[in-house]
Amino acid sequence: MVKTRMILRKKSKSKNRFCGNCHYHNMYEYPDLILCSLRYQNSNDFIVPTLGCCEKWTPDSQECFCVEEAMKKRNKNSVEHCKE
Amino acid sequence: MKREDFLREPVVHMKLNSKMTVNEFIQQFGNSGCFGAGRLSTACDIFERMIRDDECTIFLAIAGAVVPAGLRTVISDIIRKKLVDVIVSTGANMVHDLIEALGGHHYKGHWLVNDSVLYGYHIYRIYDIFVPEEDFTKADVAVADMFDEIAKESNSRTLSSHELTREIGARLTDSKSILRAAYEANVPVFLPAIRDSEFGVIYQFHMKKHSKDKILQVDAFKEVPEIIEIAKKSPRLGMVVIGGGVPRNTIQHAAVTVGKGLDHAVVITMDRAETGGLSGSTLEETVSWGKVKKKAGKVMVIGDALIVFPLMVAAVLERLGDKFVRRVK
Repeated sequence: MVKTRMILRKKSKSKNRFCGNCHYHNMYEYPDLILCSLRYQNSNDFIVPTLGCCEKWTPDSQECFCVEEAMKKRNKNSVEHCKE
Repeated sequence: MKREDFLREPVVHMKLNSKMTVNEFIQQFGNSGCFGAGRLSTACDIFERMIRDDECTIFLAIAGAVVPAGLRTVISDIIRKKLVDVIVSTGANMVHDLIEALGGHHYKGHWLVNDSVLYGYHIYRIYDIFVPEEDFTKADVAVADMFDEIAKESNSRTLSSHELTREIGARLTDSKSILRAAYEANVPVFLPAIRDSEFGVIYQFHMKKHSKDKILQVDAFKEVPEIIEIAKKSPRLGMVVIGGGVPRNTIQHAAVTVGKGLDHAVVITMDRAETGGLSGSTLEETVSWGKVKKKAGKVMVIGDALIVFPLMVAAVLERLGDKFVRRVK
């Protein structure tokens, strides 16, 4: 279900701003890709990386595991790349 | 009534064996005739009777999350076999049909789970079913694209929910889909509470991309004369209800509006009558409104529709046999 709840402008616990902890994110391909409902309305490229970000970033009212899991996956991939 | 009238039919104890078919099993329920077993056996008899009545239009009401739970193919199969003529469903059940038609899945889960963890993983729970958010998101995008196309083709013409579901069914390729089966079998699918489901969110998706004059127009009242017309044309009316709610009353409303009342009614529910809610209202109560005839074949089976409905369909299919073709005048 696409989030339609009111935007709660409270401080995010996360230190960094990512699409994956923005209010407008909806999971598209866990944990790497998300659908940005704001970009969708504007018909822009609306499938964006979880670890991306833009100037419209708005804190999400509840935290999920997207960013953490996407980071873990990215780090794991880079370690494997180094081993090669 | 005399004393002996109360003591006519003794309980025949069930006899089971290892080679029983579903219908033989249900007949043992009928021999008992008691509690849920007796009611389920009666439900099979009534469903069979309405199918064999070639002047009866059969309405199937679908409420409660039975499509994500596994009844999707059972329903699309009986549509293709023309064992039902009209579907009246919650919007949600058809959204779950679309999720699978568009490549998504529902997963076996558990009711004892930390829902905050599910939230974190973007997984939704329907009792013991898990649905990943991405399957909803992908369906949202695909159906919103269909809305764009349908709006363009309809040239601002207002559609009823059954016209919309027909357009959606025409755009699907999954043969197991309820909406696809209904489109191919020319069975109308009414969604009287369409906005109370993911369809509402999809509509919002579609709406925000277009100017007011290019938005899909769906009128909830347009289907009222459409379903009444179906009821009016039919000499007799039958209803099978999974759950209840808005879908059940939409059918009952059509039956009472044409002044007929239903001739056959099977309701499968776990709701109770004491709250006054429609899903739990007894069929006797429904008689008081004129929605069901006093002499109708009617039964309410109190039980989990996921157990009761497939048993009922399997038993009736067995009784009808593979060569049976339903003829409706």
